[in-house]
Amino acid sequence: MVAVKRKRRVFVTGMGVVSPLGPDVPATERALLAAKDAVSEVTFFDVSKTRCKTAGQVEDAWLSEAMPRSRKANRLHRSARMVTLAVREALNGAGAARPERLVIATSSGGMSNGETYYRELLRSVSRRRFAEYVANYTPQKPVLDALEEVRLRVPVQILTNACSSGANAIGHAFELVRGGLCGCVLCGGYDPLAELVFVGFDSLQASTPEKIRPFDRGRTGLVLGEGAAVLVLEDETSALARGAEPLAELVGYGAATDTFHLTQPDPSGIGIKLAMERALATAGVDPGNVDYINCHGTATALNDATEGAAISALFPHRVAASSTKSMMGHALGGAGAIEAAVCVLALREQFLPPNLHFREPDPGWTFEIVANEARPAAMEYALSNSIGFGGVNASLLFRR
Amino acid sequence: MNSVILGGGATTPAGATAAETWRLLSEGYSAPRVPVPHPLGKRSYLYCAVPEKFVRTVGRQARLRRSGMLSLFGASAAFDALRDARVEVGPAFGARCALIYGVSSGGVQYTRRFYHEIVTQGASSASPLLFPETVFNAPASHLAALLGLNGKTYTVVGDSGVGLSAIQLGDELLALDPEVEYVLVVGTEEVDWLLPDAFAAWRLASKDGHCEVYGTRTGLVFGEGAGAVLLARQGQGPVVAQVHPGQSFFSRQDSRRVALEVLQRVLGADRPDAMVTSANGTDADAVEQEAFTRLNLAAPVYAYKPALGDALGAGSVLQAVFATLALRHQCLPGTLCAGDRCALVNRQTRSLALDRVLVSAIGFNQQVGALLLERTGSDAADARG
Repeated sequence: MVAVKRKRRVFVTGMGVVSPLGPDVPATERALLAAKDAVSEVTFFDVSKTRCKTAGQVEDAWLSEAMPRSRKANRLHRSARMVTLAVREALNGAGAARPERLVIATSSGGMSNGETYYRELLRSVSRRRFAEYVANYTPQKPVLDALEEVRLRVPVQILTNACSSGANAIGHAFELVRGGLCGCVLCGGYDPLAELVFVGFDSLQASTPEKIRPFDRGRTGLVLGEGAAVLVLEDETSALARGAEPLAELVGYGAATDTFHLTQPDPSGIGIKLAMERALATAGVDPGNVDYINCHGTATALNDATEGAAISALFPHRVAASSTKSMMGHALGGAGAIEAAVCVLALREQFLPPNLHFREPDPGWTFEIVANEARPAAMEYALSNSIGFGGVNASLLFRR
Repeated sequence: MNSVILGGGATTPAGATAAETWRLLSEGYSAPRVPVPHPLGKRSYLYCAVPEKFVRTVGRQARLRRSGMLSLFGASAAFDALRDARVEVGPAFGARCALIYGVSSGGVQYTRRFYHEIVTQGASSASPLLFPETVFNAPASHLAALLGLNGKTYTVVGDSGVGLSAIQLGDELLALDPEVEYVLVVGTEEVDWLLPDAFAAWRLASKDGHCEVYGTRTGLVFGEGAGAVLLARQGQGPVVAQVHPGQSFFSRQDSRRVALEVLQRVLGADRPDAMVTSANGTDADAVEQEAFTRLNLAAPVYAYKPALGDALGAGSVLQAVFATLALRHQCLPGTLCAGDRCALVNRQTRSLALDRVLVSAIGFNQQVGALLLERTGSDAADARG
């Protein structure tokens, strides 16, 4: 067995997004340009005893459009509707693409069903709905529901690499197409808000009761979000042969593990620096050519310090950077995919997405934060960073 | 593709290693059924537990002192696979080895404890020590740290076929990434009372600890533990001739067609000499068996789950480990507690000439996967253990 040497160009030929910014790509683009703050008071569960009380939330009204009303659809988890919306929009946008695989990511799946099951178990109420909760709890179920809804039958790989999951899923799909093992792959990530995860970040004091301020000197932590994004990746030959209009080209992917701590990145930034270097090396692109970085930028003291140090060390110029989590919160397993979609939009429409609530940078950083407003920019390359629990790091490099 | 399995490891209710587990399975061992601890209701369930002493050594590692059983099982099986493969673990290995974990329920014990605190004491009492271990990729992170890995570390999630998805991913990494020389694939599962209770909601859990495969539908008995295989592009060991990561089906009827399609795609014109199946005492057994019949497969069938329990996330990696050992030892253990609905069931341990072994997995959550392992000349010359 030898590693594949032939490398194909990989185009993004379709894209679907549902996030707190909007139910589809056009709404997401409008929100990015308008610097919309989509973080609001949490309504899905009780937050009276948590420090943080806000999150980016996908409106239920948007999700009701995902599937026709039926008894079965009513039982599905809301994340199944998110994935359905994203997959459907991506496939519709891609025209006649024929995906051979779905590589998708999540970190909590239908967790809220598990929570309901547990609460009812403790209350010793009827077990009548237990089967329903259990069936819709597993992380793979919303994905399979979405495939069933769009009548797409393809093998599925579900990655769960914490907060870098979405970027890892897109990265693996990229490698499949680039190496010629697949001609067309659907890929992305999703995560719905869940009480257990919300409280978890609160217990770590990683989430903030204030506004989320990535890369601000006075940052106090993250807020969570939710959503789904799916890209259609296709090799150049088949995309062009069917007359598809590429939205962007995915040219590089890098992944790296830093083994410093389960929940804290190595302060030196070695993990994300290595991931960025590998993404750039895959593409054969010099760091100086990168025009924009969509940072992981959770706004925790440690994460931003680590990522800021790595970007400052790697990029010789004052590269523009922002964290769009400031607008919609951190969608965990969905974040890397949503932010990849943001990069594609930024390249296609030639604008720099904003970093909200920004006031003053940390000293020593050499990059430029796109503060508080989107602005037009001529761009060729955009990089998307993801950093997750467990020391997982991933970078995706897109080209206009 | 066509990676090679350089080594296999396991930590199961039968043994701390794959070799010990295999020896006992070949002798007709059945793991004792013990009550699942910490019941939350009146219902009680029996399961096959991994004795604590099996993971005591690995649990002394500083990184694993606070981790859940899921991480301990995985690390124990992984070290066993590395020993079996006789690779030297050091900085060079760390730079060239990718890690893929397959999980199903994840860290369910810590997840339950963490959420229990939220429900009973309020969110402000939730422990920051527990939460990180509830994250699906915590076991992979711990093992990567123990092995000094700095490349790709992936965790995949799914039903009891997830191990095949992990092996497929490993096979692909070796094909696609020249920086990757080895891929360590680990499947792991721990049992909490919530698991059998949840499966009981679907009438999939055995009520009395008895698990009959290919016969009366008893429901499954839970097991725990981990399996691991070390993949490489070349070396001594069986070749991954074909692997299908899992195809979804949308109804019970649909599952029959999908199972047939997946096995057909993996086998092509080849015919296996033995089959290591996922039969577990549920409806899935009939689906699997029907596909064998429709494909006119005549090879003997081995199902380990009546002996060790169904360790969901570890299940199909353990099947791959047992298929590897069957090829190595030219022997197939006898299936315990098999009904009379499948004539292919191998009921007594026996020596066989094995060149190809099929692993099939049908999960409860709409996935069917399969793997075909082939013995090579170098593997045939391997006289290990």
